[in-house]
Amino acid sequence: MAAGVAAWLPFARAAAIGWMPVASTPMPTPPQDKRKAQDGLIILNVSGTKFQTWRTTLERYPDTLLGSTERDFFFHEETNEYFFDRDPDIFRHILNFYRTGKLHYPRQECISAYDEELAFFGIIPEIIGDCCYEEYKDRRRENAERLQDDEEMDMNNDVTPVNLTFREYLWRAFENPHTSTLALVFYYVTGFFIAISVMANVVETVPCGTLPNRSKEISCGDRYALAFFCLDTACVMIFTVEYLLRLIAAPSRYKFMKSVMSVIDVVAIMPYYIGLVMTDNDQVSGAFVTLRVFRVFRIFKFSRHSAGLRILGYTLKSCASELGFLLFSLTMAIIIFATVMFYAEKGSSASKFTSIPAAFWYTIVTMTTLGYGDMVPKTIVGKVFGSICSLSGVLVIALPVPVIVSNFSRIYHQSQRAEKRRAQRKTRLARIRAAKIRGTNAYMRYKQNGLLIDSLEEEAGQALVGKAATPPFESQHHHLLHCLEKTTNHEFVDEQTFQANCMEISVMNKSGSRTSSLSSSPHGLSSCCSRRHRKKSSFSLPSTNNQELSTIQIRERPVANSRSSLNAKLDETVPLKCDEPYITPSMVSLSAPVVTSSDGDSSTTTAYSQSNIVRVSAL
Amino acid sequence: VNNGGEKCIDPLQRAAILQIDLHNQSHPEVEDGELATVCYRPEGLDSLVQKTSFSKKELQVLYRGFKNECPSGIVNEETFKSIYSQFFPQGDSSMYAHFLFEAFDTHNNGSVSFEDFVISLSIILRGSITDKLNWAFNLYDLNKDGCITREEMTDIMNSIYDMMGKYTYPCMRDSAPKEHVDNFFQKMDRNNDGVVTIDEFLETCQKDENIMQSMHMFDNVI
Repeated sequence: MAAGVAAWLPFARAAAIGWMPVASTPMPTPPQDKRKAQDGLIILNVSGTKFQTWRTTLERYPDTLLGSTERDFFFHEETNEYFFDRDPDIFRHILNFYRTGKLHYPRQECISAYDEELAFFGIIPEIIGDCCYEEYKDRRRENAERLQDDEEMDMNNDVTPVNLTFREYLWRAFENPHTSTLALVFYYVTGFFIAISVMANVVETVPCGTLPNRSKEISCGDRYALAFFCLDTACVMIFTVEYLLRLIAAPSRYKFMKSVMSVIDVVAIMPYYIGLVMTDNDQVSGAFVTLRVFRVFRIFKFSRHSAGLRILGYTLKSCASELGFLLFSLTMAIIIFATVMFYAEKGSSASKFTSIPAAFWYTIVTMTTLGYGDMVPKTIVGKVFGSICSLSGVLVIALPVPVIVSNFSRIYHQSQRAEKRRAQRKTRLARIRAAKIRGTNAYMRYKQNGLLIDSLEEEAGQALVGKAATPPFESQHHHLLHCLEKTTNHEFVDEQTFQANCMEISVMNKSGSRTSSLSSSPHGLSSCCSRRHRKKSSFSLPSTNNQELSTIQIRERPVANSRSSLNAKLDETVPLKCDEPYITPSMVSLSAPVVTSSDGDSSTTTAYSQSNIVRVSAL
Repeated sequence: VNNGGEKCIDPLQRAAILQIDLHNQSHPEVEDGELATVCYRPEGLDSLVQKTSFSKKELQVLYRGFKNECPSGIVNEETFKSIYSQFFPQGDSSMYAHFLFEAFDTHNNGSVSFEDFVISLSIILRGSITDKLNWAFNLYDLNKDGCITREEMTDIMNSIYDMMGKYTYPCMRDSAPKEHVDNFFQKMDRNNDGVVTIDEFLETCQKDENIMQSMHMFDNVI
């Protein structure tokens, strides 16, 4: 609870007078204020800068240095003030926290210096206000990464630890070739063989001179068939051995087999084995030829050797939606123009535009401004529309490309920030909830303490009383809640106890018989209790669903806006796909976890885990 | 410059408020943030000491707390509800806060100034037992017609029970507030005419030991 409202507690307690006439049971006794609040000024001298505040302001937070008796260690007798040898600029913020209840993080301060001051004054950073919390977390994470990088560099320069198993050693050698010379040698050998294999694939199609008794030129592959076959076999051997070794060394074989690199490896070597298995049958030779095409995928094995390729691949993957949109709009334009050209050229004789799909080729070639000239319109209408086609092609192709390029970086950073925000939102909600629960738990403890103290009083007299170190504000607040309990003849309990009670009662009523007191309520205790519970939970179901829906929508909205702006430029008739159809599949699966557990955290985690799917599939 | 306890806004401020009002009439979508810049200052400390039974020091403490939460000098219902709800995190205290606000807002102008606040508190905490009971009756009597009907009491009771929230022991039945209202009327309504008048209320409360004792419980709050 914000300490600012601590000053309003007297009002809240006074307002409780409204419950007194309707209460049917006597009220608990209020806590005694042992000492009347002497509200004096305290002088805090922080390295020469003097701050002054009321004593009660500081005592709002009794579990910090300034609010507890710990500050007495810093009391300076000669000048009758509290002296701290710390940074006055940061202290200003800390003192403001006592005054307003909100802790702010100044952006110009160094994160580690700030953290040190907070730790010194006993303030946990989690209570930083929402306005500054994200900034604080960002800086903290950067700092932690920097420290971690330093550590990692140190670690890499270390001698390899001796007690790795052979499997772990092998995996480490594969993933990080610089660890040992053997790994490095293997790395270069595989790279060399990839290059050899790719070059062989290329060279074997080059025409290589004619045979003495044939007039037709044959390719090198057919002429030196045996040599190429041996080369191919050697390469495939190396690749197979490498793949098997990786498979053995992988810590999680299933995960390794699902990874992109392993799929590429498999695709690279499979054609050879399939070719071995298949006989030289005419029916399957066509398929066999197709398979040889897949050998070109060996070139992708280079991505293990080149970080740049990996980054490019990742960028393409993350901008797949943008590219997909470009493709989609291109397709629409192509279809439109192809149709128009077909009908325009239908009349002319010997027209190459035999069908709409045949006109696709013309449209694509014109829109990308290639203009091969193998298909040209002959009618005037056709030429008019052909020129419109090429002009719009310039617009369609040339304009989005820089936008896409800038979208790459923008969307990448935006998704990073959105994920950060989402993670923080989850934590923020959890923090709020934790604070609430802490409040109710404190109250439970207060009640237990109260009962304990009562029983102790009966036994041992007054000597033991007065040990409870709850601050006056807390005890008054708890007394207020206790009065409310007495007024309504119900007690506050926490969630788990409530669920347990309800379960007990429903079980009890199923087996037992109704008593006369229950006959007054029409539906009986069990159904009432569960009805109210179910009613409340059925209310919470759509609300949490809405919350999840809104979080997903909110996250999608900035991305959708960028695309709608793209849309508006291109073509007014292009309908942007709504987010809803893509959200419903995830919502259907979300509803299941929400019904079973009323725990807000679990539903938000499912949303979080589903969110990646939603993000990619939305357009 | 104040005379005879009138709530006097100084002429400059009145002009400012009028300006804002005119502005509001022409642009009804002006937000509350515009009004917040108008600062309402209470009367002098001495006149408040005379009007209430608080000492100077107590008024100072009260005002500091008041001004902290409401820098503009007046509380509107939203702020009132949000402050009150911080003390009852488990339940929904908005309805009871609304009734409280109605009781504190003696001039019925939708806002509670520091004077209203302090005068009401003075009655509750330092008034005679009859004054306190009158104030409580005023709180329950929603339409201020001098008698509490069953509907009014039901509303009040529902609002109090709402503050408990969902997680209670024993489970909160829907009929619990109604039963409580029935008990209340059984106890208070002497002539069984379906309403509780101020006299019946005072008479019954003064006879009840528990109520008398609990009325004095919060006397030392400040």
